[in-house]
Amino acid sequence: MRKRLLWLGTVLLACLSLFTFFSTKTQAAEKTYTIGTDITYAPFDFQDSNGHYTGIDIDLIKAIAKEEGFKVKLKPVGFNAAVQAVEANQMDGVIAGMTITNARKQQFDFSDPYYYAGEVMAVKQGSSIKSLEDLRGKKVALKVGTLGASYANSIKKKYGFTTTEFDQSNDMYNDVTSGNSAAAFEDYPVMAYGIRNGMKMKIVTKPKAGGSYGFAVKKGENQELLTKFNTGLSHLKKNGQYDKIVAKYLGKSAQAKEKKAATGNDGLLSLVKQNKSSLLSGLGQTLYLTFISIILATILGVIVGLMQVMPVKWVNWLSSIIIYIFRGMPLLVLALFIYIGVPNLTGSKISAFVAGIITLTLNEGAYTAAFVSGGIKAVDPGQMEAARSLGLPYGKAMRRVILPQGVKIMVPSFINQFIITLKDTSILSVIGILELTQTGKIIIARNLQGFKVWTIIAIMYIVIITLLTWLSKFVERRIND
Amino acid sequence: MSEQNLKVDVTDLIKDYGNNHVLKGLNLQVKNNEVVCMIGPSGSGKSTFLRCLNKLEDPTAGRIVIDGHDISNKNTNMNHVREKIGMVFQHFNLFPNLTVLDNITLAPIELKKMTKQQAEATAHDLLKNVGLDEKATAYPASLSGGQEQRVAIARALEMQPDIMLFDEPTSALDPEMVGDVLDVMKNLAKQGMTMIVVTHEMGFAKEVADRVVFMADGHIMEEGRPADLFDHPQNPRTQDFLRKVLNA
Repeated sequence: MRKRLLWLGTVLLACLSLFTFFSTKTQAAEKTYTIGTDITYAPFDFQDSNGHYTGIDIDLIKAIAKEEGFKVKLKPVGFNAAVQAVEANQMDGVIAGMTITNARKQQFDFSDPYYYAGEVMAVKQGSSIKSLEDLRGKKVALKVGTLGASYANSIKKKYGFTTTEFDQSNDMYNDVTSGNSAAAFEDYPVMAYGIRNGMKMKIVTKPKAGGSYGFAVKKGENQELLTKFNTGLSHLKKNGQYDKIVAKYLGKSAQAKEKKAATGNDGLLSLVKQNKSSLLSGLGQTLYLTFISIILATILGVIVGLMQVMPVKWVNWLSSIIIYIFRGMPLLVLALFIYIGVPNLTGSKISAFVAGIITLTLNEGAYTAAFVSGGIKAVDPGQMEAARSLGLPYGKAMRRVILPQGVKIMVPSFINQFIITLKDTSILSVIGILELTQTGKIIIARNLQGFKVWTIIAIMYIVIITLLTWLSKFVERRIND
Repeated sequence: MSEQNLKVDVTDLIKDYGNNHVLKGLNLQVKNNEVVCMIGPSGSGKSTFLRCLNKLEDPTAGRIVIDGHDISNKNTNMNHVREKIGMVFQHFNLFPNLTVLDNITLAPIELKKMTKQQAEATAHDLLKNVGLDEKATAYPASLSGGQEQRVAIARALEMQPDIMLFDEPTSALDPEMVGDVLDVMKNLAKQGMTMIVVTHEMGFAKEVADRVVFMADGHIMEEGRPADLFDHPQNPRTQDFLRKVLNA
């Protein structure tokens, strides 16, 4: 019994040190600042057709870094993830078309404003809606956390419309162009850029109730970075570089370049060809996450599952609590809690990838533990009695007699859990991991072809799940023979 | 009777499951080479008593000494004691994931009592004794109940036990299989094995037992030589029980 506990402890320790290894690796970059950006907020933050992140924000922070002599490590994770990562000290700053508001000033210190943007309303081309008054009784699409959203919410009573909020700009636009919503509210440059690049919408109001964009750091921290940003910004404004950057994206000449990629008429195959490298790297990340998580979750699940059936009361309790907590928590909440919450509590960073692995390991491990203990309990208790009556110690009896029978019962559950793990990796897009689903979101933000891109992504998932199922069935047959 | 000669010495054994009192203070001594058959109505506590002897059940109170080892003492290494107590179950409990031979040799090899060769040689001898050597490479699922039980006996004997416990070994068998199993047990008794047999086979008890113990309601009601107990039962419960089973 003592030996078994020791072994168990060693495995847990090994897992832990693996995690620390990953996390220290991400802390290694010292003089470099980690900056979070949005990914679907053209012309400020988006991915160009070559798969590079670009936009006014990106060019600006790079130019300032060059001017002021520091390095930036850009983390294109999406607005929400970026903001929360800064709050959790996971990143040093965020530049993501972020409007300076009083509410945000409670949590963040802002740089001098680097862009002024007013809010406009846009409708589907050919729509009869021409003013705010026409919105009565209609539905309006908004993007979570934007100034456009708070502006629309502030006037929705007056004009009598209802709202739906989306995480991604593209989903918001699609809701309007598909006719689900009557209009969308967004910062003028963003809306104008989208329309110039082929989005079938038109702007019907003058910019209003605008706000200023600022670069943000967590309140009270990274003040040095903030000062460098401000000095750099004023230099760029003086030497004309700032205007060049803005003109690059919003000037007349900017239109033609991106237009081709956003015509909305590409076939599936040509879309796959255009985005081959992004899709493959997203797929690779998904497979990598799945592979590591399956291994770690299986180890954890088997240990916790065995703890559940061990003839020691407090170990059973511990196991039950672990299963109860991690099976009871939605994966999305667990991912956010580990990525955002834990660093806030402990003060040490974890990379999104490690947070993702921990999340999947705990969640899938809890489910695995449940069916492992179930499989063991399904073995006739007479088997354990017969083994023990021969003088075999508990561990030997478990290993030689009970587990070989239990594993056969568990195999279908294992296969099922592997498939679930693979699908669950998609939820990790919420903390900005560039796996397949997140890759899809980013591609769509650029080319606005949601339906086709999601079709491609769906087919890719089906294909790898089919392959995984075949592999598992093959292993199952080998075990049963 | 000297202390050394005692294989099993049970004093004031009590076993409760919550408010359910199954064994209400049992005393029993079994000598070396003795064959004791335990009879009695269902639910009288015979099986529970047997399972207490190798601690498949934890006694609530009382003292159990097996072959000089006080197993009611927490510091006694139960695994060592169990090696010397063979147990045969009503439902055989062969390991379905192992062949007949591996079922028999698993424990001695795992516990390093024998080398693989020794273990297999002994196993083949034992299988010959129970008439099943040709089944050595078969899996339990392909055996009949009677064959399974004979393998289970061989498996227990492989550990060279000092005592054999039988928990209703023929109750789950088709009638035509019972004889083969009982023959194996009779041979074992003839060779001088110390045996405690919980059974409903009154014929076997009469023929083989040195002593028959009648249990009812968690008590030992009566014990004695088979001839005395079967032909002249003293306790009214014994008389009642025997009338019912023998006239059935």
